[in-house]
Amino acid sequence: MKYEVCPAAEMGSALEHQLSTDTSRRTFLRAAGLLAAGLLVPQARADEGPHANAGSGHKLVLVVIGGVRRDETFSAEGLVNIPHLSANLLPKALFYRHVRNEGVTAHFNAISSILTGNWQHVDDWGKLAPTTPTLFEQFRKGLKVDRSDTWVVASNKALTNLIGASSDANYGPGYGANVVFPKQLMLQAVADALRGGRTANMADRSKVEAELESAMEGSNYEGLGWNVFDASDRLDPRVRSMVQTAIASFVKGSGPTSGDELTFFMTREVMRKFAPQVLVVALSDVEAAHFGSFSLHLAGIRTADRLVDQLWQEIEVNPDYRGKTTMVILPEFGRDPDGSSTNGFFNHRANVDSTRDTWMMALGSAVDRPQIIERPIRHIDLCPTLAELLGCPPIAGMGAKLQEFHG
Amino acid sequence: MHEETKLPENLRECLSKGVLKRLPLTFLPFVNQQLSQWNHLFPNERRSVERLLLFVASLSSEQSEALFRELVGIEEKMEVRKWHFSTSEQTIQNSSQLAASPFFQEWRRAVQAVFDAADEHASKTAGSAQTQANRLVLLGIPRALAVDPQTAWRRWQGTGRALNIAPEGRNSTQSALEFLLAGTPGALIDPSSGQIAGSLSESGAVAANAWVVDAGRSLIDALLAANTPRAHDDSAILVSYTRLEAYRQNFSHEMNTMRKDLADADAVFNRLRQVDVTRWCPAEVSGKTDLSEFLRALYLSGNGAVIFGNSFVEWAASEAFRRARPTFLAAQFGVRSKPKPFTGVAVFDNPDQVNPLPAVDDLPGSAIDAQMLALYVWLAARRFEEYQRSTVCVCLAESIAQAYVVAPPEFQLPKQTAPVTLEQLRSSLREWIT
Repeated sequence: MKYEVCPAAEMGSALEHQLSTDTSRRTFLRAAGLLAAGLLVPQARADEGPHANAGSGHKLVLVVIGGVRRDETFSAEGLVNIPHLSANLLPKALFYRHVRNEGVTAHFNAISSILTGNWQHVDDWGKLAPTTPTLFEQFRKGLKVDRSDTWVVASNKALTNLIGASSDANYGPGYGANVVFPKQLMLQAVADALRGGRTANMADRSKVEAELESAMEGSNYEGLGWNVFDASDRLDPRVRSMVQTAIASFVKGSGPTSGDELTFFMTREVMRKFAPQVLVVALSDVEAAHFGSFSLHLAGIRTADRLVDQLWQEIEVNPDYRGKTTMVILPEFGRDPDGSSTNGFFNHRANVDSTRDTWMMALGSAVDRPQIIERPIRHIDLCPTLAELLGCPPIAGMGAKLQEFHG
Repeated sequence: MHEETKLPENLRECLSKGVLKRLPLTFLPFVNQQLSQWNHLFPNERRSVERLLLFVASLSSEQSEALFRELVGIEEKMEVRKWHFSTSEQTIQNSSQLAASPFFQEWRRAVQAVFDAADEHASKTAGSAQTQANRLVLLGIPRALAVDPQTAWRRWQGTGRALNIAPEGRNSTQSALEFLLAGTPGALIDPSSGQIAGSLSESGAVAANAWVVDAGRSLIDALLAANTPRAHDDSAILVSYTRLEAYRQNFSHEMNTMRKDLADADAVFNRLRQVDVTRWCPAEVSGKTDLSEFLRALYLSGNGAVIFGNSFVEWAASEAFRRARPTFLAAQFGVRSKPKPFTGVAVFDNPDQVNPLPAVDDLPGSAIDAQMLALYVWLAARRFEEYQRSTVCVCLAESIAQAYVVAPPEFQLPKQTAPVTLEQLRSSLREWIT
């Protein structure tokens, strides 16, 4: 089985340190490795389609876009990379200029901290679930909501389906979200084509669709890491239909073919078919930075900028979302500064502002007026804020509600 | 990999007296790994390990306890003893556990404090002072990579100055670095002696003292074609991303067989640490075990070294500075291909194998990468004291006929206002390091 290199690039990363003046100290802290994540626990159905909204009726779309520095985004020189965010969306947004990740600046821990409102210190590779309840569990248990109302659509394979629910004994997978990794489907299709001697198909758009569908329909879903299969590893028919539509849109369009593009098409289809009340989207093209290509990293930022704008457009025209949805966009963290001993933009593990200090934008129903907030907030403040918007019963946690959001 | 380790006498003596027993648990993977790989370490690395262990051995038991007290306390808070923690080598699992701990940053600071103490001790020890030889870092962005003259040096933040390069009559297929290093007589690598920058070999019994790193192969091919037998000696390191293709492909193929779990990652990592790589090494690498082991570590440590030539150059140069502290390093950047449709970025060991569409050069993207990574090479050097004073850095952007020069005041060339020829530049650089 092939592994995806992006999380693998993370490996070597865990211990690269900031201590730079001596060979030993740097080597001491450096660990190399080749890690790919993925616990494979088929466990749930997608269940039903759109239905009456629970709780407050508020819908949430949360977009997390990997690691990006302020320098390449909301800075004078970075604005060129985010024309949609800065010109189209910012004028109507609630914008927090300083949002701190004070936890582990690795993908699984960062996203699970955002989703739980508590700093998580679990395995970096998604081997362990977050230890406190996710927003999905709070929502589903507190308001008796169906699983199909909570989805995670993620490009980043440093995540696993354990991102959808915590290990808290009072909550757990029974209250978790549907989790799908569209990019993994693409990788699986390429791997299958390679194994089957059909690589020529990957050069032909008309055949790529069949390869992607074949990867989805295959009897062994292990590599995908999704949790929308039933106990016999069969895909729910409605999910199958949704995925097929997304694949067709992805392949037949003349646009780019990155993992985030497929994630966008899958997200849009989830919205159209299931209209979940809580939808989390994790984009990761920016993580090309781990391979040292600054240009591909910038391209990933521009892709995320465009896709976020398209998602907002979908919210504005989709009757299941229009007028009752809040969309929040934030990076998981920044990236390390130029000249750091952690190899600068390649990585995101330095304990400095470049890595920890990011931004957040909110649009839609919870925003009563555009404003820019200079007061620093924390990643963990988002979960209790969103939980209240949804009408969830409050639970104890490290995060504090953001007063600028209005239900 | 099973050859006898040739530790120096003083180190053997302090090991026999049990110096390792004084070390905190989280120090052991690193120290044991360095000792077991002693034969493949560069001289600078050996000195560093020696400095640490001899320092600890010189302490009384009370002093030793005091030195490590904070770190041991943090390890207790981390509950390291309850972890599945290897003490014989650094593992991914070790890294993962440490990084996930809420005390990780505290631990890092405590580790730094120990090394600072060892450094301070070493600086007070007679004979530890190093002579400050003049050093040179030479970076090349080939003509095919068009850079914007308005912004080419913006990220260098005024640390040096741009120098116009006058047209001159070198072969148009030859890169500036090829001209400087392997051109006609006067090149920084002397074809008659094979010595890099002449005088380097006078001090040049020092292993790995001069490095040339190439994102493609033309520069290394040119150096090897100059029939320079001394280029094969231990003082000169020549590495080419393209010439290392067999090594790289076999390595990444092994990585791609890995299943998706942590235990398997460590198993694959261990296998790759032990696999015989000599059959994959080109001539300029084979026979130099420190270099082939350097490349193994480089590929295992990520940072795109297996994937992109320019990332390989940057990471190899950075690691060369960190591990070997060479007096001379030249790095030439190159062109990468665009990611192929539907394969994602750098996902498979051989993009040409998984998608038969012809590779297409990404010249604008490669230019952006090269500009950033050239700066990163210099910043990587600047982290170390050896490169903070008597070091000249020249970054040549051939598409705009400019060089950016960061140099101490005693390096005269940058004060000229008229364009300089590459011959003049070469002469100045040669004088600087001679």
